[in-house]
Amino acid sequence: MNDLRLLLEGTVILGTPLILAAIGGYFSERSGVINIALEGKMLIATITVWLVTIATGQPVIGVAAGISASILFSMFHWLLTQRYSLDPIVSGMAINAIAFGAANFLDKRFTDPDQAGFPKLPLMAFWVFALMLPFLVWLYVRHTRGGLRLLAVGSDPDKARQMGVFPQRTRFMALIATGVLCGLAGALIVSNAGSYVDNMTAGRGFIALAALILGGWRPLPTLAACIAFGFFYQLQIQLQGTQVLGISAPRELWLCLPYIATLVALAGLLGRNRTPAGLGKP
Amino acid sequence: MKIWALLAIAVGLVYGALVVAGAAPADTAQSLIQGSLGSAKALEGTMKHFTPLLIAGVAVFFALRAGLFNIGVEGQFTVGALVCAVVALRMPGWLGLIAGILAAAVAGALWAYPAGWIKAMRGGHEVISTIMLNNIAGQLSTAAVAGPFKDPNQQGTTTASIDPALMLPSIWQDPRISAALLVAVLFVIGIWRWLGRTVPGYELQAAGANPRAATLAGIDAPKVTIRAMAISGAIGGIAGALQVVAYEGRFFAGFSSGYGFDALGVALLAGSNPLILFPSAALFAILAKGSTTIQVMNGVPKGISFVILGLLIVIFAAIRYRKVPVKES
Repeated sequence: MNDLRLLLEGTVILGTPLILAAIGGYFSERSGVINIALEGKMLIATITVWLVTIATGQPVIGVAAGISASILFSMFHWLLTQRYSLDPIVSGMAINAIAFGAANFLDKRFTDPDQAGFPKLPLMAFWVFALMLPFLVWLYVRHTRGGLRLLAVGSDPDKARQMGVFPQRTRFMALIATGVLCGLAGALIVSNAGSYVDNMTAGRGFIALAALILGGWRPLPTLAACIAFGFFYQLQIQLQGTQVLGISAPRELWLCLPYIATLVALAGLLGRNRTPAGLGKP
Repeated sequence: MKIWALLAIAVGLVYGALVVAGAAPADTAQSLIQGSLGSAKALEGTMKHFTPLLIAGVAVFFALRAGLFNIGVEGQFTVGALVCAVVALRMPGWLGLIAGILAAAVAGALWAYPAGWIKAMRGGHEVISTIMLNNIAGQLSTAAVAGPFKDPNQQGTTTASIDPALMLPSIWQDPRISAALLVAVLFVIGIWRWLGRTVPGYELQAAGANPRAATLAGIDAPKVTIRAMAISGAIGGIAGALQVVAYEGRFFAGFSSGYGFDALGVALLAGSNPLILFPSAALFAILAKGSTTIQVMNGVPKGISFVILGLLIVIFAAIRYRKVPVKES
């Protein structure tokens, strides 16, 4: 019984940052901007939340600063892709590299080695928000003007333009949403860990992207994919060293599951390809 | 104008970061050069980065000519290195060396194949699929050297080491330069001629520039895409194999220090001219080697090299890969 409780709790702890980041990616990709920079945006948020919270002693200020840093990087992404017409993938790679380097630099320069623990955030509020978010987003895109515009821009920017919707403006708002959600995800990751290590996010931005693709760029299936990834990760932690059906699979095989599932989904083996039609178009 | 503004901002950022780190920018620049080019030993260290960056850069460059972003070189490099180490350890001698490199090429091609297939047949973006393949390669190769291929005499997750006498010979002593450099140079020249002078090379570039027009001209664009991805993967695999037989002598967990990602920068800087791969790979190698020196000598965290790298990619992509801007309002 205790194991089950642990499994459930672990799933929520590991799944919620993924949900926040994946829904952040949802806004960006649905507006037509391919976003492989979720990782970098989360990473810059983690280091900012960590340093500012410790410096001020106020987690609220720390989280606000982390969200601001993530928004700043997201705005940089918008500027490069929309104003300067840069390839979204190249700029995404660059943002990841800059965030990785900046986080390493700031951590090595400013983290006090004798630092005591990190104040816990109100986790329950984060969890409820993360689990409600996909439903709210679903309602938003189906039933509001802004949501329909988001889908219109992401599906066919040229037609949207002819109908008087400005894709660049819509994407600006969408990328701010991405920044806010990646910032929250980063704050949650730091709070869960309670300490800072280099490359704090450790590829979780890519797992969130995988969940988004596996969910077919739809909020509710994405939520399910995030929970499934969190569940399998926690299961792997709890099953470590024990045998399943007579064999003990190495943990790396478990860790591959999200990526393999995404490849299968991309290959169109799980139903039709649901890539938004306007993804990557100017 | 805008490019110069961008460059000025980048220089300002890096300068500011150095001041924040409490290091004199001029001293730091000096130790960067000293640590990467200043002595025979430093030069050897830089070479160890230069060779894989050059070959991996060729792999990315090749795919780019076919209109494909092969971010998966990281994974192909890892898989190639693992397979090469395993084969070369099972079959000692010269035969093992050659068999290892060939096996690495096959492994790299197989690792890239799904991405090419998904792109050509299903329209799934190759960047996403190669990111997934990279992560799978990282996890599986770690599992392989933690389990079946682990050297029982070693503490860490690593294979046994190849007999140094059986590794790739050097073509120059003091500074020691491995024959791998020769292979890398041949690759650059070979790809340059192949793309420029042969029918398949032309077809590949045509399909990359405009797949629809290429199809109308009678080129089987999906087939070219799949083939280009596989060849690019094979080159990536060979890059990993040469790193094993020329420098490391073994495969261990976390083998690639991001060569595949740096290679994307190397190829982007080169634009459409393969010969520019030489200076751009050299630039990245100097940054990689020199950043360890400035961390030790000047107390500037290594992370600054990634910031510089990211800014460089942005600036050069801005120069070379601008799409036609869309007028709005």
